[in-house]
Amino acid sequence: MNQLRVALAVARKDLRSEWRTRELVPALAQFIILALLIGNFGFQIDSRNASTIAPGILWLALVFAGLVAFGRTFAAEREQASLEAMLMTPASPVAIFAGKALAAAALLVVCEMVLLPALSLFFGMPLSGDVVAAVLLATVGMAALGCLFAAVVARVRARELLLPLLTLPLWIPFIIAGGLAVQSAMGLPGSYQQAIGLLIDFDILFVVLTSLAARFVLDE
Amino acid sequence: MSVIVADGLTHRFGSEVALEGLDLVLDSGEHMAVLGENGAGKTTLLRVLATALRPTAGRLRIAGLDAFQERRRLRHYLGYVAHAPGLYPALSAAENLEFFCDLQGVSRSRAADVLETVGLKAVAHRRADQLSRGTQQRLAIGRAILHEPRLLILDEPDASLGAGAFDLLSGVMHGTTVVLATHDQALANRLCPRTIVLRHGRSLGTATHLRVVQ
Repeated sequence: MNQLRVALAVARKDLRSEWRTRELVPALAQFIILALLIGNFGFQIDSRNASTIAPGILWLALVFAGLVAFGRTFAAEREQASLEAMLMTPASPVAIFAGKALAAAALLVVCEMVLLPALSLFFGMPLSGDVVAAVLLATVGMAALGCLFAAVVARVRARELLLPLLTLPLWIPFIIAGGLAVQSAMGLPGSYQQAIGLLIDFDILFVVLTSLAARFVLDE
Repeated sequence: MSVIVADGLTHRFGSEVALEGLDLVLDSGEHMAVLGENGAGKTTLLRVLATALRPTAGRLRIAGLDAFQERRRLRHYLGYVAHAPGLYPALSAAENLEFFCDLQGVSRSRAADVLETVGLKAVAHRRADQLSRGTQQRLAIGRAILHEPRLLILDEPDASLGAGAFDLLSGVMHGTTVVLATHDQALANRLCPRTIVLRHGRSLGTATHLRVVQ
């Protein structure tokens, strides 16, 4: 109960700070609009191929927006020297990590709320519950991994370089399973149930692993 | 009862020695000032005593517990004001303290009491980035006493506080064991009966309380 209270307090603090400063959301929104524009003009899109190109643009935009969102989670704390103040309290480092991951995931969900309707509008991607579920499930695991590596690299100078190097390889399972789920939800070949099952498995695996690792990453 | 017992505390950053073989015993309720030039090792010593930094060598016991094995338990026991205020700029003074109340596991109503103690009731709803450096420092001191710690580690808490430093610090330090680093020797003399002087990470000591490291 206490851990939940701490995690919610950290998430609320991060989201309140973001609401007031609007540092990240405009940058992410701009990024997503640019990804859509590049996708629109970079490919020769017509009514036949739009739905096959849309999932690719969706995951590309999410991956890069995620890198920006998660990269800031711990970097801002380091810059304002507030991470140490948090870690000097009796609060569990795992709860602090969970709160930060929750806030970063919420920001990514905000991006998805713009991205999915835009893909539906411009690329004819169906905005079904199946697509939304696949994207949200992938967000959970990506947030856990992204935040863990953001915490690891926050203390080094070349963090902007290191974060994608560490994070992208481990995000690949989510992109593959998420991509399969979205494609099959759009009526392309593949089993939706199998892809969603894989996403759930990856979520459980990486949420448990990152929670275990977070204690050592933050405590030392 | 000894609150701090340090034995041969040493810390190196690479090949650079920041603290070397420091022995220290501090009893309950004692106030001790740490003096020294910039780079003498004051902040390193205070970070080690606050358990924010693990020393390269040496042993440290706080309240009878191994400071690094029992670090989490000691979080309830000590309050630390670091060199930088470490506040959330977009949150108000009250919100900053309320957030740390949640982390400390104390009631949020404690934030209002502490704001009054550190003289910030009037600016409680002003954002931290709109406060002066001295006011931010007051807020950082307030954050360190939210959970009523029995040991206070204060790293230059008088920085930017100006004329009100003595009154604020003497009020906050009352009834607790304190280690305070400062450049202001006059303030140190008024607040702390004991003084330790550091140079190049070594104690130059004051005879009765310290074993001077040769």
